[in-house]
Amino acid sequence: MSLRTVASYALLVVGSIVVAFPLLLALSYSFMSESEIATFPPPIFPAQATLSNYEKVFGTIPIGRYLLNSVIVSSAVVVGQLLTASLAAYAFSFLVFRGRQLLFFLFLSTLMIPWEATIIPNYMTIRTIGWLDTYQGLAVPFMATAFGTFLLRQAFLQIPRELWDAARIDGATTFRFLISTVIPLSRPALGTVAIYGFLSTYNQYFWPLLVTNQVLMRTTQVGIAQLRFEESLRWGLVMAGVMMVAVPTLALLVLGQRQLIRGLTAGAVKG
Amino acid sequence: MRRLATFALALTMVATACGGLAPGGSDSSALAPAKDVAPAAAITWWHAMGGVNGEAINRIVTAFNSSQSKIKVEAIFQGTYDDLLAKLNTALASNAAPALVQVYDIGQRYMYDSGQVVPMQAFIDRDKFNTSDFEPAVINYYKYQDKLQSMPWNASSSILFYNKDAFKEVGLDPEKPPVTFTEVADAAKKLTKKDASGATVRFGFGPSIYGWLFEQLMATSAAPYADNGNGRDNRATKVLWNSAQGKAILDWWKAGVDGGYFYNPGIDNAGSTNAFNSGKTAMYIESTATLRNTINVAKFQVGTGLYPRPDNKPKDGGNIIGGASLYIMKSRPAAEQQAAWEFVKYAMTPAVQGQWQSDTGYYPIVKGAYDTGPSKEWATKYPQFLTAITQIRESPQNRNTNGAVLGVMPQARQRTQKMIESVLLGQATSQAALDAAVADINKAIETYNKANP
Repeated sequence: MSLRTVASYALLVVGSIVVAFPLLLALSYSFMSESEIATFPPPIFPAQATLSNYEKVFGTIPIGRYLLNSVIVSSAVVVGQLLTASLAAYAFSFLVFRGRQLLFFLFLSTLMIPWEATIIPNYMTIRTIGWLDTYQGLAVPFMATAFGTFLLRQAFLQIPRELWDAARIDGATTFRFLISTVIPLSRPALGTVAIYGFLSTYNQYFWPLLVTNQVLMRTTQVGIAQLRFEESLRWGLVMAGVMMVAVPTLALLVLGQRQLIRGLTAGAVKG
Repeated sequence: MRRLATFALALTMVATACGGLAPGGSDSSALAPAKDVAPAAAITWWHAMGGVNGEAINRIVTAFNSSQSKIKVEAIFQGTYDDLLAKLNTALASNAAPALVQVYDIGQRYMYDSGQVVPMQAFIDRDKFNTSDFEPAVINYYKYQDKLQSMPWNASSSILFYNKDAFKEVGLDPEKPPVTFTEVADAAKKLTKKDASGATVRFGFGPSIYGWLFEQLMATSAAPYADNGNGRDNRATKVLWNSAQGKAILDWWKAGVDGGYFYNPGIDNAGSTNAFNSGKTAMYIESTATLRNTINVAKFQVGTGLYPRPDNKPKDGGNIIGGASLYIMKSRPAAEQQAAWEFVKYAMTPAVQGQWQSDTGYYPIVKGAYDTGPSKEWATKYPQFLTAITQIRESPQNRNTNGAVLGVMPQARQRTQKMIESVLLGQATSQAALDAAVADINKAIETYNKANP
């Protein structure tokens, strides 16, 4: 190995430790007893690792159910977003119709509306149709996304127009072209939309709090809040909860990374 | 920050939407449903108590539900106090609010102005309910124009915490904690310890920059926080922090930090608690609600003392309580209000209050609770709590010690924190910082009062 490689690896190791430090410290705290955390200077590794924080989390909140709810809702949102965003982006990039540009900008302008301004009308709608405390109430309002549509449109525009012409000449329908050409060629962009949609839904706090009242319909972020006390924080307990909640997102990262790389290496116009 | 913005937005929206005239007048009992209305079979109670405190609430509710067959209460955790209030505002806009809600101390004026509450006094007057056994300091905090608006629920106050082992080590009497500003500063100087390289390994005193602590210091200084009887005789029109007492508090704090014997954890309550629990600071001031945890984790003898006050120990000065209280909501049918009141009465019995204290570490609201088994056990286990009880019992009851009520209390608290921080960091002199903060909040009060005529 050349000196250059060694140096750059050393730099990468240092960089990744710095970036991962808060997460690793949280992991370490989750195995410490409360009185150990309260010593000064604060220890980095637990002297006697204990699982009591994890036991307490299970004893305090139905964390398994919360995780299940969050995964169900986030996955539903991802599927919904991919469907609506890819169809809309396809129309905005390949189909020619009157007012397309205007409609697209109108679509984009919804990005400017702060989420806070729509929360009360959204809540009233969900309540009126009786979707409080349901999965659809948690997921449906987020199944269409202007951001995802924009991202996919930009990706679709990268696909050479010649492919479209060739497909049409070969007799492919509009829908067939989307399924067999556009979607496979846009995997990285679709992956990005999926991961972004999953994470933003998974991390939601206020909406799930608003539309759920039953303990069994709550999501992880609301559940974690239940581990807090108004006046004093039990760091070990909170960190143990945070670690469990982070598992699905880490799994997604590991799986999603492969998908992203495969998508990136797929060729576009091959002979 | 974002959540705060949401809350502020929702607050403004509802404040403008339903800023009707709040109830008042001479015969408040007329606002309560008639005595013969049968209580509803089920009501919902929203609360903000996570962790063990939430479990304590569930225990009370389960006991109530099995103690009788007519009413079933369902307690629902709704996040932090701020989250709960934001959710309440949204729910009120579509008539989905519960019958009973827990709202924090500083949301008092806002709840009153919303016009969405049936004052607790209405039920008390209607039933001639006896409140003579209630802790005056606690109950007075939730009165406006001497009428009880909500039922106090979780009550705490602020005390001085000190490390007895450190006191012994430097030759201070561990049974005689400092009380006045000068005594605290002198003790802090002695308790501060440096290592060979000159770095401080232990600070004498380390309070968090916390607006609530400033409010308490104003009260022990016998100085009003706002005009019109701290906003209790009439709606406040301005805050009065830039008095000689306000300046004295900031100057004392600043001198300690500059002198290197006060630790400044920043705007960080958990940080100041951790610093004390780990022995990095030898004294600090915090809520009695943290007492139990501190005693359990600290590896030294924990002492508690009276809250700091000016050197002349003003007679009219004393402590304000903090915490949250329960409101019965007007938007629910009379039967539900009735059921909520039945539950509140149950929750105020000495047995329930004694259990609540022993489960959570909050004050019992009725004095009779101290005679119950759980409360007595608790007192033997945590004798340090006695200081807190004595302190609120001995606080004279007047407008200064009742605490301030402002519609913009959350903003005022945040503004005082910024003000203290700017002084400690040397960005402004104490008088200039006070004047600037007062000007900002007076403007906010004016806007609020205009929006809620």
